[in-house]
Amino acid sequence: MYKANSYPPRGAEQGLASCHICEKASPISIGVCPRCGAHLHFRKPDSINRTIALMLSAAVLYIPANLLPILTIRELGIPREKTIISGLVEFWQMGSYPIAIVIFSASILIPLLKIIALLWLCGAAKGMIPYSAKMLGKVYWVTELLGRWSMVDIFVVAILVAMVQLGNYMTVTPGPGALAFAGVVILTMLAAMSFDPRLLWDQLEGKTEPDKINSDCE
Amino acid sequence: MDAGSIRTTLTLPRAAHALIHEGTPIVGWGVAVFTILTPLILAGGLVYVCVPLLFGRIAPGGMFVARWISITEPWNMIEVFLLGVLVSLMKLGKLADLHFGMGFWAFAVLMFCMAAAVAAIDKKELWDRLEVAKNHV
Ligand SMILES: [Zn+2]
Repeated sequence: MYKANSYPPRGAEQGLASCHICEKASPISIGVCPRCGAHLHFRKPDSINRTIALMLSAAVLYIPANLLPILTIRELGIPREKTIISGLVEFWQMGSYPIAIVIFSASILIPLLKIIALLWLCGAAKGMIPYSAKMLGKVYWVTELLGRWSMVDIFVVAILVAMVQLGNYMTVTPGPGALAFAGVVILTMLAAMSFDPRLLWDQLEGKTEPDKINSDCE
Repeated sequence: MDAGSIRTTLTLPRAAHALIHEGTPIVGWGVAVFTILTPLILAGGLVYVCVPLLFGRIAPGGMFVARWISITEPWNMIEVFLLGVLVSLMKLGKLADLHFGMGFWAFAVLMFCMAAAVAAIDKKELWDRLEVAKNHV
């Protein structure tokens, strides 16, 4: 195993901060990135608190997102409400297994995994949970990469609402579940963006968060 | 076949418009932002910044545009929308006889090309080149 002092010095120890927009390393003392004009921080400000707050809101919304109807089909005046799960079951019964699996992953599995993964990452970055850096690096990468695909069900609702307006015969209207679900996807994406994976490496090397060193000195 | 392509491309604004008027304006605006606004900013911004860079020059406001490219990049969901189109067509397949025109496939290829173009951009190289061009002027 590595010892804490066997790592090369961090940029932050030399007063260098990497820009969040263009990744240029500049001295923190100049305040603003000379290349693109963004504000400089050693780490994303308030990263863990923001991530946890966004994640918990997403977790709360996840329940109505799956229980409330995402759309209502009115066939010959008779309304039928559909949730994400009932749409999934329909595809499965039709024998469209690949589509059913895609919907299941995008709408149910990915948001849930993202919520668990980001809370786990936050715990690890705070030093409350032991972890392997290699594995958590992968977890972070997957949450960033896959998050957008959860939006697919919202787009399906949008397309169906736009295309199926056949007067009295059949109309489709969006339900409250669609709003909750879009909220879950956007909140988990914002949470993944506000998480700073470098906090994991700080924790692993047994060093404090560089911004904390600063504020403690002031 | 041309009609097929026109109808599919019209679906984007129409889908957002329908949601805005069917009681979920917030979701409608979200769909509009993710499938129309951000891809336009991304594609337009990339052309605006990259073409002058080919000649070692920086477009006026290039740094500002490049910043917006970085910010909007994760919110471009055009390929997710394409998957949504496929799933909807499967759903609608039960109700009506739908057949894919050549236009649909052209639209699909266009979307994948755009997704690939965005993925191919090395942001670090883009910023390095912008900086070199800026210092030359
Ligand atoms: Zn910068």
